[in-house]
Amino acid sequence: MKYVPKEITQEVNTTPVHPLVNLAYLAGTVALVGVAIYFLLGIAADQIARRIGPETEEKIGAVLVQAFPVQETVGANENATDSRLEYLHELAISIQTDLEAVTGEPANYPPLKIGILDTPVENAMVMAGSHLFFTEGLLAAVDSENELAFVMAHELGHLQNKDPLTALGRSLVWITIGSLLGLGQQGSGVVPGAFNLAELNYSRGQETAADEYAIALIAQRYTHGDHSLDFFRRAQENELDLGALNRVAEWEQTHPMSGDRIKKLEAILVEEGVALTGEATPLPEDIGCPNFTCEP
Amino acid sequence: MELLVLLILTGLGFFVGRHLEQKHYASIKEREKKTLHIPMMNFGAKQDLPHAHEAQMFVGSVVVANDYFKTLSAALRNLVGGRVVAYESLVDRGRREALLRMKAEAMEWGASQIVNVRFETSNIGGQTGGGLAAVEIMAYGTAIR
Repeated sequence: MKYVPKEITQEVNTTPVHPLVNLAYLAGTVALVGVAIYFLLGIAADQIARRIGPETEEKIGAVLVQAFPVQETVGANENATDSRLEYLHELAISIQTDLEAVTGEPANYPPLKIGILDTPVENAMVMAGSHLFFTEGLLAAVDSENELAFVMAHELGHLQNKDPLTALGRSLVWITIGSLLGLGQQGSGVVPGAFNLAELNYSRGQETAADEYAIALIAQRYTHGDHSLDFFRRAQENELDLGALNRVAEWEQTHPMSGDRIKKLEAILVEEGVALTGEATPLPEDIGCPNFTCEP
Repeated sequence: MELLVLLILTGLGFFVGRHLEQKHYASIKEREKKTLHIPMMNFGAKQDLPHAHEAQMFVGSVVVANDYFKTLSAALRNLVGGRVVAYESLVDRGRREALLRMKAEAMEWGASQIVNVRFETSNIGGQTGGGLAAVEIMAYGTAIR
């Protein structure tokens, strides 16, 4: 047989597609699926936050609090090294009396665990699993029990509305799976940037709902709304008046600026028919220092 | 910053890689045409080999490196599966180049034809991640004259 050389002009081993077109298709597919997963996670997180039971919430809280720089958070019947924690627990119990009658629903959060953060910032925060934190700065700044109780009741409102869980957002899906499997217990990478949790932001709507909840509790505990808002009033005096810029600044903050917030709160007080004047309940002395003993 | 580095690497891979590839293909096609008259064929175990005075084995090998653009395309492809178009041309170039090198050497020796041509492929550093990602392709066959 004679060999006749024949040139092969067709490329059979390569696909005739422009590499950029190929890349665009790939990137498009991956991006599309990524976006779909992101949305599904969002929906899943929302559903989980709404349905999560106290036991699971407790586990999630345990995972989160591990990564948090706090000396101790203790439940109601545990021995605390700082006697102020006992006082705070008693205060929490007293504002939660007749909770169901006052707010129309039983507490749906695990038992409270209270801690004190050693920072001069005046703030209070709540984490999933009913970990409630007050800062040293806040304890030093409040003038009456009414003020402190209002802040506490506000945080309880967040808890009752499951705001800390909702705020975890999409990471809630991973945290829940991790804590159910017991993965997070070893402090693994399940907890994303735990310290950022301290800067959790709630939406305006969530803040207002928590405020309304707080007013109901305060009205029940003290029978009047006087003095409760003084803490915010003092904060308002310290706020700079930025004039027209106020609107911008307000938009940046999720807590409405104190002025607006106080007006809103006062309106709710009037609406609910809560007495606007009454006696202030004094705080224990030296609440700004550990064990109520300030060194001279 | 990292995104910028990625973009630069990908751009470099795309433009330079594509330019070199087109140049290489042009050279491959030209040399293939020139060497077309020497047949390369394979024989089965029970077939008689063509009569020859002399026979010698020749080896041609080539190492082709990947570029960043191809890596990116392949990494994305890895997520969805399917035909890795970006690597097809890479391996195709490698095979044809190796074959041509083997054939050129055999022709210099004076081969009238090359029988029983085989390919071997091995990747260099590609599995370990990072570092060099390249593939070595070797073609060998028995030249007779």
